[in-house]
Amino acid sequence: MILTILKKELDAYFSSPLAYVLIGLFSLITGVIFFNLLVSYTDGIQAIPPNLAQEKSFVEEVVLPLFTNINFLFLVFIPLITMKLFSEEKRQETIDLYWLAPVTETQVVLGKFLAALGLILAMLIITGVLPLVIWGVGIRDFSLLGTSYLAVLLNAGCYISLGLFCSSISGNQIVAALLAILGIMFLWMVSWGGHLNSNYAVAEIFVYVGITSHFERILRGLVGTQDLIYYGTFMLLLGFLTVKSLGRRNW
Amino acid sequence: MVNMDKILVVDRITKEFPGRTAVDEVSFEVAKGSIHGFLGPNGAGKSTTMRMIAGLMVPTAGTITLLGEPVVAEKLYHKNLIGLLPENPPLYPEMRVEAYLRFVARLHRVPKISEAVDKVLEALALTGVRHRLIGNLSKGYRQRVGLAQALVFDPPFLILDEPTNGLDPQTVVELREFIKKLADHKTILFSSHVLPEVEQLCDHITIIHHGRIRASGDLREIHRRFRQGLVLKVGLLEHETLPDLSVLGKYEVTHDHVVGHERRYGVVFEDDRDCRAELGRLIFDRGLHLLTIQIESPELEDIFLHATETKQ
Repeated sequence: MILTILKKELDAYFSSPLAYVLIGLFSLITGVIFFNLLVSYTDGIQAIPPNLAQEKSFVEEVVLPLFTNINFLFLVFIPLITMKLFSEEKRQETIDLYWLAPVTETQVVLGKFLAALGLILAMLIITGVLPLVIWGVGIRDFSLLGTSYLAVLLNAGCYISLGLFCSSISGNQIVAALLAILGIMFLWMVSWGGHLNSNYAVAEIFVYVGITSHFERILRGLVGTQDLIYYGTFMLLLGFLTVKSLGRRNW
Repeated sequence: MVNMDKILVVDRITKEFPGRTAVDEVSFEVAKGSIHGFLGPNGAGKSTTMRMIAGLMVPTAGTITLLGEPVVAEKLYHKNLIGLLPENPPLYPEMRVEAYLRFVARLHRVPKISEAVDKVLEALALTGVRHRLIGNLSKGYRQRVGLAQALVFDPPFLILDEPTNGLDPQTVVELREFIKKLADHKTILFSSHVLPEVEQLCDHITIIHHGRIRASGDLREIHRRFRQGLVLKVGLLEHETLPDLSVLGKYEVTHDHVVGHERRYGVVFEDDRDCRAELGRLIFDRGLHLLTIQIESPELEDIFLHATETKQ
């Protein structure tokens, strides 16, 4: 059943221009960012003595900033992907198709979550060209590339679950998108707030609740259990709230 | 003990929204294999009641039982018992007709999807548009696709919320015929604004107004109930006048008008007794010419207006 919903949603994405526009725009922006990072990296190497050049890490200078920027791009791209998933179905009353069938709310939420994640994967696959370019010019430093992809995918999962929840509580897709953007910004700001707080315990709580510290740890290859628990809990909690807000018998 | 002749039993359901009661202690039953007409003006509570029957809304109070099981039971959905065509058909404009029906069939776990989809496409004359985008179809075709989604998993009970509303006359006639045929093996709860349509299709009706039931049951029985006394149409020659009929009982002349060479009177006797023979003799004895004498049963429209205007 989840596969039926996943397939229908992917068909819906790729039968409208939105998916292609988003993928194209995402590729263009990441390409420009990558190019700029690469230029500043090579300029940096040329500007310092050869014996110090080895200390300039390609991963530190190009890979990590690239994925940090991808995370920033998600702020706009993911709400655009998730905004209509429930709000539009509610507006057109097509959501009733699911509730009249032997389908559970959890299956519907999972199907739509995986479809949105699928579109994000399609966007990220394009960025797979970049390591190939690097390989072509002779750079072999690909450490942390795997965990960088894992970090942005986990963040994407959180943002999608947040976007789905916002779409489930609003009958208007613009409102759903704005709520999701605010929600993602809140997740970032909580982390920043933690760094600014002088009380150690409060700061720790803020840092844990915010997404940034977990993202940065995994990005740097430090995949800890507490980070995975954070991501798992976040997605499950938002998924649960979405299921509850959709509940066919709640109203 | 469950009465299986009654496929649907609605028992004193109420739906309250903040500040208003949309449906107020509504009760009625739908017999198996019947087309049950559901009538009421806009905002009467028809759609809310239908959505509660379909399990899409929960009543604030009361119970709905479908084939002996409460409608809110989760397991009901696993039996694919209810097909619903809402007032706005639940369609995805960006999908093609066949893909949409396949998707709905998959949601309902239909075992032979291609067969089921082909069957319903053919039954509703949609084969020619099966590869077209739903968003590009005319309203008539979209309504057919909406009906097809309610039928593709072959449910025994159908809820059709104003299925012919806003369609061209030819499509209306075709859909009406189709619904009539469906009743051979399905039970249908059917709401409409077009009263002659309800009279043509339904043998049982329920009239709802301001969220309350005004009348429910066998159409003929309701006709009888709303017939207040005996209503007769009496026609004499144009220059003749209706004599005093008080010897036959208390009566009232509701109207008289001339049609061609005939003066027609509407006469209502308080007593329900059929007194046409005595009336004919009386007119004949007075030397008048009786051209027409006929019992008039009230139109469904009169019943509907009577039911919705009174008891506010």
